[in-house]
Amino acid sequence: MYGWIWRHLPGNVWVKALISLVLALAVVYILFQYVFPWAEPLLPFNDVTVDNQ
Amino acid sequence: MRVIVRSVSELCITVGALIVLFVVYVLFWTGVKADHTMSDQVHQLQSQWSRQTAHPKASPAPAASPVPAKPAAYKDGKPFAIMYIPRLGFTWNKPVLEDTDVSTLKKGLGHYAGTARLGQVGNFAVAGHRRTYGNPFVNFPELRVGDAVVLTDGTTWFTYRIDKGPYKTVPTDIEVIAPVPRKSGYTASGRYLTLTTCDPEWGHSHRLIVWAHLDSTQPVEAGRPAALRR
Repeated sequence: MYGWIWRHLPGNVWVKALISLVLALAVVYILFQYVFPWAEPLLPFNDVTVDNQ
Repeated sequence: MRVIVRSVSELCITVGALIVLFVVYVLFWTGVKADHTMSDQVHQLQSQWSRQTAHPKASPAPAASPVPAKPAAYKDGKPFAIMYIPRLGFTWNKPVLEDTDVSTLKKGLGHYAGTARLGQVGNFAVAGHRRTYGNPFVNFPELRVGDAVVLTDGTTWFTYRIDKGPYKTVPTDIEVIAPVPRKSGYTASGRYLTLTTCDPEWGHSHRLIVWAHLDSTQPVEAGRPAALRR
């Protein structure tokens, strides 16, 4: 998978490395901004009330 | 064969990285976000209160009857008070918001909708996170009988004293936030406060409860209550 992405990125090694870095940061941003906030309430740390709201 | 091995190892690396990132998010990033949001809420309250004191509407109610002329209803998801618990640290203060939705508890402590208003007869019940989102109640088990729980709504300081707790119960035990909770030892109606959080620290099988009664009130003009002075 990673090899396939690397081969399909344009430019020389430096440009590829730069694009990879930007892609990785974008993935982390999407995870922190959208995916994890959605997944986190599924864990039990939010259950602090006694009426289970 | 080589393709399979490579794919599997890449998958493992990806899943591992995801898990590590998620742990970082839960342990660290929710705290950063919550600290930011909570201090926002506190500032919002303080500026709102300073505007109110700049334009005083009526003479302050006497300390003996802390009933404001016309109490505005608490708005869902909005802060209306700040809580201080010296036992949890002299700098420990958190906003108290109306209702106990998941999204509300990310911004501060949540007041159970339907329980008494601050300082009124009945049970003023508040829930808070033990872990994640700034860990507001992480040291909840250190609370002891006699500890002060101080709240302010911008006009009055309310000092509650803990009478019982931490008491461990099950999540379905809604009786603990009743106007006169049976297990608390209170027998007559009064001005009570209940704090709830989860137990064990990272679990959700039980709840920890403390109960307190209103010990004293004083107008904000009189300065901070004795419990908050070093």
